[in-house]
Amino acid sequence: MTTTYRVTLRNRNGVPLDVAEDEPIYAAALRAGIQLPIACNYGGCITCAAKLITGHVRQPKGTALNRRQSQAGFILLCVARPTCDCVLDVGVESHRGLYQNPFAIAGNRYPPDA
Amino acid sequence: MLDECCGPGYASPADAMKAPRETLLYTVALYVGTGVEKPDYLATVDVDPESPTYSSVIARTEMPQIGDELHHSGWNACSSCHDDSSMARKYLLLPGVRTSNINVVDVSDATVPKLHMVVSGDEIKAKTGLSGPHTVHCLKSDIIISMLGDADGNAPGGFLHLDKEFNIVGRWENDITGMNYNYDFWYQPRHNMMVSSEWGAPNTFMPGFDLEDVGKGKYGQSVHFWDFEAKKIVKSIDMGAEGMIPLEVRGMHDPTSNEGFFAATLSSNVFRWWKDGDDFQIEKVIDIPTVDVEGFPVPMPSLITDILISMDDKYLYFANWLHGDLRQYDIADKANPKMTGQVWIGGLLGKALEVNGVTVQGAPQMIQLSLDGKRLYVTTSLFSSWDNQFYPGMKDKGAQMYIVDCDTAQGGMAINPDFVVDFGREPNGPSRCHEMRYPGGDVTSDIWM
Ligand code: FES
Repeated sequence: MTTTYRVTLRNRNGVPLDVAEDEPIYAAALRAGIQLPIACNYGGCITCAAKLITGHVRQPKGTALNRRQSQAGFILLCVARPTCDCVLDVGVESHRGLYQNPFAIAGNRYPPDA
Repeated sequence: MLDECCGPGYASPADAMKAPRETLLYTVALYVGTGVEKPDYLATVDVDPESPTYSSVIARTEMPQIGDELHHSGWNACSSCHDDSSMARKYLLLPGVRTSNINVVDVSDATVPKLHMVVSGDEIKAKTGLSGPHTVHCLKSDIIISMLGDADGNAPGGFLHLDKEFNIVGRWENDITGMNYNYDFWYQPRHNMMVSSEWGAPNTFMPGFDLEDVGKGKYGQSVHFWDFEAKKIVKSIDMGAEGMIPLEVRGMHDPTSNEGFFAATLSSNVFRWWKDGDDFQIEKVIDIPTVDVEGFPVPMPSLITDILISMDDKYLYFANWLHGDLRQYDIADKANPKMTGQVWIGGLLGKALEVNGVTVQGAPQMIQLSLDGKRLYVTTSLFSSWDNQFYPGMKDKGAQMYIVDCDTAQGGMAINPDFVVDFGREPNGPSRCHEMRYPGGDVTSDIWM
């Protein structure tokens, strides 16, 4: 039997989702009638990013996040499957700090050979 | 606009320039990355100054699936089919970069475009091993679309071949050897040539722009010249640091010409290219220096994101999306383009924060020129994730469309004070407007054979 975990969408009035361990959280939300951001649906494009507040996920094939973004707790809901009960902030509202202007970051180099 | 005896478009660039003035314009409008969880749409904009609805969106055609990221677009037929009366410029193809879907919109009733069908991205991936559709060109009896990735979003991609009923024929090219990445292309059968450029793999550029990826060689810096009939690359030129991220490639409209221009977007240089016997050459002709901007520790390139050539092949226009200006160059001497006009709209240098009563989000990005060369239409969004990095306000306030009036006799540009479409005020919420097309053809789609 598949194990199911409780995934709580904190910034959507704490709505609880029951998500099977092999089901992407995006798909579970859609099943519950909640349309979250989506685009490539394979982990390559960042559109579906959300912020993990507590818990853990597995995201096979999720390539769209760099180290900084992963360390900040961002996950990709199109590929993320829960491995325990989780609390998330979702939607574009959860994207604060996701994007950076690379020319605003001290230590970045441009042109690359300068 | 169609001759009774003939197919779509015009007999020559000179004929195209004499066409009636455009009254409608189509632009894609996106909700990806805005917080509005709705599909992207095609917006029909009234550009007829005599019309009561001038300077507003008069129709919206919603795509069937959410998350496409509509980007570029192209016609089922163009002036290359002018001698074929069985063809009509009736369908606009709208690829979704993120879903790989190709939405086909029927514009038989120009003011009420309707969704005709969708070539499913999943089917394209399964049948051709390609994803990330970008540039659409009509190739007389075929349609070719540059694809930026393989089925998993990795480089180098290839070219998708559709027939005129939008069936997937397969991959167009015979041999991709030499291509690291894919992006835009321009072709000219009369000289048996095609030129293609390089962005990066979808999995690299879709999440956003990272200078570390540039350092790792994950963005392109080569252009490729093709034997068009043999469908293979005959020469690739690696431009190094001067030619990082070559994007839009344009050729002269005069079919006797075997020359054109492209911009290296990140290096912010314009190159000219030409066929030289059986060989191909390039030469850097414009170099926009980086600017040190307060609050930005890293020198900022201008980022030339779009470039085009007027129908009479006399002027070159391009947009500097980070600096915020649009420029016009006289290209009578192609090796020495002469700047003849410049306007500022938005941008990170802060030179024109508000234009025509609207606070600009973004800066000049996609451009489209009227057939007579007198009106340059411009939109301010680049790509949702890149917009969110460089102009984060756009997701809440939407992008804008302006007209820049161009002096084609003396040179010169001026922002038209009577026209602005603020996509921040769309009924379903702010959206991002991007590439533009006219029903009758334009300077970036029509090719004469
Ligand atoms: S939708 Fe593209 S990474 Fe999830």
